[in-house]
Amino acid sequence: MAGLFSQLSFGAPWVLAGLLVLPLLWWLLKVTPPQPRRIAFPPLRLLLGLKNEEQTPAHTPWWLLLLRLAAAALLISALAEPLLGRAPQVAGSGPLVLVIDNGWSAAKGWDERQGVIADLLRGAQDRPVAIVATAGNAPVSLLDAGAAVRAARELAPMPWAGDRMAAAARLARASFASPPQIFWLSDGVEDGVGRKFETALTKLGPLTIFTPRAAALGLLPPVRDGTGFQLTALRPGAKGARQTNVAAIGRNGEVLSDAPLIFKAGDARARAHIALPLEVRNQTARLEIRGEDSAGAVQLLDSGGVERRAGIVSAATSEGEQPLLSDVYYLERALAPFAEAQKGTISNLIARKVSVLFLADIGRVAGSDADKVKKFVTDGGVLVRFAGPRMTGGADELVPVPLRVGGRYLGSAMSWNAPQKLAAFPASSPFNGLVAPTEVTVTRQILAEPGAQLSERAWARLSDGTPLVTAQQMGQGWVILFHITASPAWSSLPLSGLYVDMLKRILALSAGTAAGDLAQLSSLAPISVLDGLGHSMAASAELLPIAAKDFARTEVSALHPPGLYGAQGVESALNILKAQDALLPLELGGAREYGDVHSIALEPWLLALGAGLLCLDALVALWLRGYLPALRLRSIAAAGLVLMLMPRGVHAQDTTSMQAALDTRLAYVVTGLPDVDAISRAGLTGLGYALKARTSYEPEDPIGVDVERTDLSLYPMLYWPMDPREKNLSPAAQSRIADYMRLGGTIVFDTRELTLGAVRGAGNPGDQTLRRITAGLDLPPLEPVSADHVLTKAFYILRSFPGRWDGGQLWAEALPPADKNGQSAPARGGDGVSPVIIGGNDWAAAWAVDASGRPMSDPVPGGDSQREMALRFGINLVMYALTGNYKTDQVHAPALLERLGK
Amino acid sequence: MTGFSPLQHEADGLSAGLPPLLVAADRLAASVSLGVHGRRRAGIGESFWQFRRYQNEDAARIDWRQSAKSQHLYVREREWEAAQTIWLWRDGGAGMDFSSHSVSKRERAELLLLALAALLIRGGERVGFLGGGERPAASRLALMRIAHALLDTKMQAHSLPPQTPIARGAGLVWLGDFLEPQALDTMRGLARAGISGHLVRIVDPAEEDFPYTGRARFESPQGRDEALFGRAESVGDSYRARFRAHGEEVVQTAMKLGWTVTSHRTDHAPLSALVALHAAIGGT
Repeated sequence: MAGLFSQLSFGAPWVLAGLLVLPLLWWLLKVTPPQPRRIAFPPLRLLLGLKNEEQTPAHTPWWLLLLRLAAAALLISALAEPLLGRAPQVAGSGPLVLVIDNGWSAAKGWDERQGVIADLLRGAQDRPVAIVATAGNAPVSLLDAGAAVRAARELAPMPWAGDRMAAAARLARASFASPPQIFWLSDGVEDGVGRKFETALTKLGPLTIFTPRAAALGLLPPVRDGTGFQLTALRPGAKGARQTNVAAIGRNGEVLSDAPLIFKAGDARARAHIALPLEVRNQTARLEIRGEDSAGAVQLLDSGGVERRAGIVSAATSEGEQPLLSDVYYLERALAPFAEAQKGTISNLIARKVSVLFLADIGRVAGSDADKVKKFVTDGGVLVRFAGPRMTGGADELVPVPLRVGGRYLGSAMSWNAPQKLAAFPASSPFNGLVAPTEVTVTRQILAEPGAQLSERAWARLSDGTPLVTAQQMGQGWVILFHITASPAWSSLPLSGLYVDMLKRILALSAGTAAGDLAQLSSLAPISVLDGLGHSMAASAELLPIAAKDFARTEVSALHPPGLYGAQGVESALNILKAQDALLPLELGGAREYGDVHSIALEPWLLALGAGLLCLDALVALWLRGYLPALRLRSIAAAGLVLMLMPRGVHAQDTTSMQAALDTRLAYVVTGLPDVDAISRAGLTGLGYALKARTSYEPEDPIGVDVERTDLSLYPMLYWPMDPREKNLSPAAQSRIADYMRLGGTIVFDTRELTLGAVRGAGNPGDQTLRRITAGLDLPPLEPVSADHVLTKAFYILRSFPGRWDGGQLWAEALPPADKNGQSAPARGGDGVSPVIIGGNDWAAAWAVDASGRPMSDPVPGGDSQREMALRFGINLVMYALTGNYKTDQVHAPALLERLGK
Repeated sequence: MTGFSPLQHEADGLSAGLPPLLVAADRLAASVSLGVHGRRRAGIGESFWQFRRYQNEDAARIDWRQSAKSQHLYVREREWEAAQTIWLWRDGGAGMDFSSHSVSKRERAELLLLALAALLIRGGERVGFLGGGERPAASRLALMRIAHALLDTKMQAHSLPPQTPIARGAGLVWLGDFLEPQALDTMRGLARAGISGHLVRIVDPAEEDFPYTGRARFESPQGRDEALFGRAESVGDSYRARFRAHGEEVVQTAMKLGWTVTSHRTDHAPLSALVALHAAIGGT
């Protein structure tokens, strides 16, 4: 505690003098009595003129006084700006220089760093301050204290790496009257010049270095492996174990999946795998390390790289034996990063809804397949065909240009021409912007018949002008023909990276991107960029596009921040970290950690606490004046008592449940009305005796259940007498009863109509109670129990259902309509047991027996014979609840036996 | 119709357990009109009651057919069939809205009033709400009318029964707290007009027990007067004495007028009050 006080300091200590006012406040509060309670009182006339024996004002209670004084003391101390913790010491008198790393790796813990900056600036008081940000390029100038605070507040981490040597050069150009005191707030990441930078700063003046305890993590580009993403994360240094999460995030910021990322002690890299089905994989917009909040911990994904389902059909059969000669092998390899490639026949691939269909060396698409392919293309599919030996014999009509029969050989013994190179792609081609490597040569190809459309349909040509790739739009889809094989047999194109790029653009075509957009992709304009904390935002108009051919080599910088570049739908991602990058820790002697020097301002906490006390005081004042009847001491005491008694109540309920679980028992709903409950209990006891005597079911003593609290699932049947005094159900009880009925329980509602009122029907109190209580329940459709209902046959054969009274209607869940064609069955039952049975004959009263087993009521009008029928109905009811529609199966037994005999 | 049905159902439930209420027969006077139910004694009516011996009275009353069968002269007596008219009134003043627990005095008074009306109707008596503007009747419709009149906002504010002319000999059941200073005078006036009355004094437990402590400002429900006490418990004893005295005064006045008084605390079950009232009006 003493240690805590020694760390306490005040920003404005003179405000503490306000505490001297407290005694005055105490005196004022003491003499001002609280407002009296106001009570409206009808017999006031009798009170008037009564002598008020004690008119001295009541004192403010001591605890209220204490509360108010504490609130005032808290507010006063809050205004004195108390600080907890050691602020960094800023000694000396010269100018102050803050060198702040604000590259992407500084984003982690930026708030903490701002706190340290604020502490330093507070310590600087009136000394001039220069702020140098390593990821900025503003010239260094000396600021007074206020301007420095503003400048520091505006400082934010940038989404690119800082350049420390450039910052040192800027600092060296500035001139200081006296040697400045320098603080370097580093991000703890080595950029190769850390030592040099330190030396450069030390030359200018005394240097203090801060480093973060845990430096930033970085995420490398993901590797797609067909089932999800393989991720690798980096950290500077390898000290200690560290665990965090990586997540795949969708386009709208939703988390699609995540996986733990564990750095073992001694490892600078950690791997994780996020498994996602293809559809979800395609919705992934970015991968990020959770909780890192830095642009370097984010990997944006190309949206042109949405994975498509591509189908490959090849005519060749030698695929398995000589993979390096087969077309399928090269296509699969080239498509793997962007598409899920499937092999199969044309019809089953179309049925599997591929979006791009590759036909390698299939001359003619046969029979009904031709129609299917045509429909596939006109509906928006992309058909990509590769030439091959079979196509030299002629092709069907599903090609973009008419073809000449026979191939053209180049550079062979029979040829007069050298192997041809690729020409630059035409401006109208979707391949525009791709660079044709000079080493790609074509030795054999299929030629197109010259024609008027040939020039516009050619997407790629050889250097002598003959078309290499032709395409034609057909309906909403495209037919594209490579005039060479998909394997390196005819050219070296399948071995080059260009092949992959071309296929990628064709896949983008299938994503609905217009061919014209693809053609303009010679330069990629920024669409959205990341800020230093890794949040996406729209790109500002000042950012320059990147030439497509340079994109792969582009480094992230202030000119090209990380983000998505290209056209809508075919966006390429520019990320900070590339696959070969690594992070190193900044290892300098004498560095201090941020957490050690940061202090906590207590002002907001004290203010909040003081305001809370004042609110409490207002509540207390209301209570004292009688405006909070709910807060009477008595009810508080009662609540406390209930809380104390609660565990015992729970225990009691457990024993009830255990009793119920060990034996099948009859149960009734406790209404809380002693007379009704006693009859229910006596009734079920009497019914239990009858069941014991006549059936193989021997129930134990009945149990009363409270639907508001008890677990109902242990009882096959609940008897529920209605009484107008019963309370409505709470929502919890309603859902519990709904569950009970849905899961196969049966509730017998007894409206006791003639017991409660003179006539049956809607005006009867029992009937009204039933309607009131079941108002919130989801009852099934009901119908009167018919003469062939299984309830009439479950044990005894019954025609009516008397209880204490006779007559009335018995209702149960509506049965499915009787089978019209079949012969009439003697008993009908639905699937399972009716969840509710409703009647009004006051059965419990008829069943009820006293302790010596004598009946307790006289059934009207039938007397003892009616009691017997009532007991028979009770037995049928219990059998029905226990065995369900078993009797309806029994009536089919002769027919079943007959069938078995045959 | 729905506004009062819960109250009416509650009242029906309350009255369900009691036998039909016949107004004590000896209170009947000449002004009673012919009704449907017999009074278990000889009188004006249509159904046969008994034959009795002729005792020197108007010879026209001799039943010659019966007398011819034997040696004596007989008179045919018919059963006295008559219905009493009972007017009902409940105090509607602002003080009746007071409740220290869940039930206000007004709610309890209206419940008792309706239950009593249901009982009387089942007994064949004719009932009406005083000032309701309807003729008293002995049907379920009359019960509806009373329930409507209770809901009528015009009737809500009046504390004392309106100055409506009432036939002599009719009964009045008046439920209220009788705290209004003119209440006793009104009673005397009604008694002079030949009305027999039954008073039901509805008392809230807080009014009787005065459980208040500490600094408190008491206000009349109309908000006209107020009394401030530094320690409310210090005036408790003298208040309770005054309240008891007021109750005594009401009882004394009523007894002088030959009226009955039933007292009912709202924290007690309404059935007990109804039973007591049943006994008082039924004269059993």
